[in-house]
Amino acid sequence: MRLFLATFCLVLVLVGPLAADNIDLSTVPHRDSVQLTIYNSEDITLVRETRKVTFKKGVNPLQFSWANTLIDPTSVELKFLTHAEQLDVLDTTFPHAKAQMLYWNVKSELDGEAMIQITYFTSGITWSADYVCLANAAETQMSFEGFVRVHNNSGEEYEDAQVRLVVGTINLVEKIAQLAQVPVAEVQTMEADKLSDLKKDATHRFMERASGFGGGKGGEEGKEKEIVKEGLSEYFIYTIEGTETIPNGWSKRMRSLASQQTPFKIQYRYRPAEYGEQLVRMYLLTNNVESQLGTSPLPDGIVRVFRDNGRGGLSYLAQQATKYVPIGDKIEINLGADPEVIFELIKIRAFRDELWLQINGTSDFRKIGGDGVMRVENATLAGWDDHEIYSQRIRNYTNKPIAVEIRRTLPGHVVFRSQLEPTLHDYQTVQFLTRVQPAKRADLLFEVVRKQGINAKQNNVTLQTAEIKP
Amino acid sequence: MRLRFHPGRLARRLLLAMPVLAVFFAGSVCQARVKLITLPVRERVEVQLDNAHATLVEEERIVPLVKGENQVDFSWANTQIDPNTIVFRVVAPFGYKPLDVKVLSVSYPPNEAALVWAVGSSDSGSAKVRISYLLGNLSKSFNYRAVASKDEKSLILSEYMRLQNFANEQYGNTNLFAGYGKSFLKPIGLNETKEMLVQKFEKVPIKKTYACNPAEYGYLDQPQNKLRVPMHYLLKNDQANQLGAHPLPYGKVRIFIDGGQPGQTAFLGEDWGKFTPIDDEMKLYLGVAQDIVVKRTIEKNERKPVGGNLYHHEVILKYEIENFKDQAVTLDVVENLRHVRNEIRGDSGRDVEWELLKETTFQGSYDKERSTFEQLTFHAPLPARAKDGKAEKVTHKLHVLIKNEW
Repeated sequence: MRLFLATFCLVLVLVGPLAADNIDLSTVPHRDSVQLTIYNSEDITLVRETRKVTFKKGVNPLQFSWANTLIDPTSVELKFLTHAEQLDVLDTTFPHAKAQMLYWNVKSELDGEAMIQITYFTSGITWSADYVCLANAAETQMSFEGFVRVHNNSGEEYEDAQVRLVVGTINLVEKIAQLAQVPVAEVQTMEADKLSDLKKDATHRFMERASGFGGGKGGEEGKEKEIVKEGLSEYFIYTIEGTETIPNGWSKRMRSLASQQTPFKIQYRYRPAEYGEQLVRMYLLTNNVESQLGTSPLPDGIVRVFRDNGRGGLSYLAQQATKYVPIGDKIEINLGADPEVIFELIKIRAFRDELWLQINGTSDFRKIGGDGVMRVENATLAGWDDHEIYSQRIRNYTNKPIAVEIRRTLPGHVVFRSQLEPTLHDYQTVQFLTRVQPAKRADLLFEVVRKQGINAKQNNVTLQTAEIKP
Repeated sequence: MRLRFHPGRLARRLLLAMPVLAVFFAGSVCQARVKLITLPVRERVEVQLDNAHATLVEEERIVPLVKGENQVDFSWANTQIDPNTIVFRVVAPFGYKPLDVKVLSVSYPPNEAALVWAVGSSDSGSAKVRISYLLGNLSKSFNYRAVASKDEKSLILSEYMRLQNFANEQYGNTNLFAGYGKSFLKPIGLNETKEMLVQKFEKVPIKKTYACNPAEYGYLDQPQNKLRVPMHYLLKNDQANQLGAHPLPYGKVRIFIDGGQPGQTAFLGEDWGKFTPIDDEMKLYLGVAQDIVVKRTIEKNERKPVGGNLYHHEVILKYEIENFKDQAVTLDVVENLRHVRNEIRGDSGRDVEWELLKETTFQGSYDKERSTFEQLTFHAPLPARAKDGKAEKVTHKLHVLIKNEW
């Protein structure tokens, strides 16, 4: 039973082959099954439906129409699942007067019932993932729930459909190249129509494989449906247990994974390139079995984080978009700045040394402080070292020790002096770690020496261990 | 906001003007007519205001369930509920029966501010559910009332939270929590603004400061080299100063002074109190002191060659200070040496490298706590004016070598 506007039907026309008759008699075979394989980033869904049709011997016209839907007419295909040897499609006609309709003339040697399969692409059915994390009051464990939400704006209601979701990005370009038998580089230069056809073909072939996966157990009334996750080559297919009816215009959200006690760690990070000019608080967890996760990659989606506030309610912490997380990879959630942790960079002192003069624009350079330099005329400063002494101050007003990671990018030829046991994250970025006890203050002292003018011989940071005095 | 509830498939749904929770008892087939709807009322509401950017509303309702699949319909209209943030949790079965209750799926109808939870229950009975969502236009801000004692040594600081409800939804008795302090049980009416006293801090010691700093406060009369001398109250947010319970949020501070007698409290002005972490100071501007006159002149500016185009600059800044007040005060003389360097030779864009020289007259050198690598704070005690009204002129010098400039 359909509720909405789309008219979408298969009609067995009983009055002779195609003709301009004004009086028709037709029967409407019901769908026996529908399967949707939804690929979210391309807005393309493969629909595979089966119907029982009774054929008589001779030519049987079949009419297929799809008014007000987003079906791609060029993608519609008919196959015979039973009695294939007795049934043949003679021709397919797209009548001029009626858009969104086609006729197949089926030649039958069978006088009886056969199962047919119609496949086509439609757009307007998409899916998305999202996650809800609920941390305990002590912030040691969280419940981690993943959801998939299927949106149907295709113009058609697919009743009791088996739903499969393709996780991952299909590299269509390579598959198009294979199909067209051209080098990958030429794919971009192909004509739009041809490219579009090949793209569909490539997707279709992938989905042919994808749609063969998974079982279709019937969901039990009152029980939550299981979402079966299976790997297929580089991809994952989520198959929703049983069947679903999603009316046109509606969307439906189902739980795809749930863990009750996922352990996580808290780290404070200063990484201006990633999180801006602030110290942010992070929840760090891993998509693995120890975390009660790791059964499938986590598709791109929004993560929303709450915390048990210890008074029977929740605190809303943050939401952020995450990228696809492979099995075994980290999930890093940025909760923003923490008002109970104060992070300040205090410049304590600045001075210059290693001052070099260039004499009369020649290649004669002399260091200030050397003999006779005071008396040289027409000399200009050509090289010096800028020294900056800093305290990285962190005040922890929380009731727990905090782990802090700081990254500072220092462009140019730089010497970084400290006793902070830093490491180089890259050639110009220094990273150091510390822990700050509750209600304590840490003053991490370091000196940055920037070699300027002719003193700059490199473009990198050198780490030196030295005691820094405030 | 309403919650409706029914077992079976998607039944005919009504869009109501108020947010609704409804429980449907209907036939199990699609398009069944609604036979009975229960409308579970809110048992408890909490508004969590602890997030700086978002307001989380949590409401508890007791939902009757039948064995098998039930439909719980949640709809709202003209409110800024973010439907993606709605979390439905079963808190506990309500009554004697132990129930296993689970959300099976959520359906979102087209063109409606609503959703339908399919909820599975192991048996018939009631369950307490908690629905949480972020709600826009229900916002909070903070403000303070500070009443200084007559001697200006301490003040009473009252911190208020102001809740503005433009969310187009009203709540009965609601637990409101700012993230610290006590929580409040108050009804929230439509378009209502409520102000609540979060905390009151008694006898908070304050320091009244007089300061001059040409880089920050400029001149009162530049041709005469007279500096502007603003006055501030300083409050330190720590336990030693009766505060330090939590960071003080940003907000307007209305400042009063107690005249010593009832009804003699006078309004001194208002200032924005910045976000003040624990152990930091909140500085409240009180206006410009007219009775303290500071004349600042650059007495000496001498360039000293180092080699080539590199020079040091020897500078003496002279301050002639008169206090026309009847009591002795301390003036904070603040000098930004980058600003001095820019005054005497133009801005080179480089950090200023400096050395304090011997003709500096301020006692005890500069205050390290209140100074930075380029800005120095000195304290100059000033006597009260004499009985004949004459103020003693106090002269101080800052003698500094600004090094390695080119």
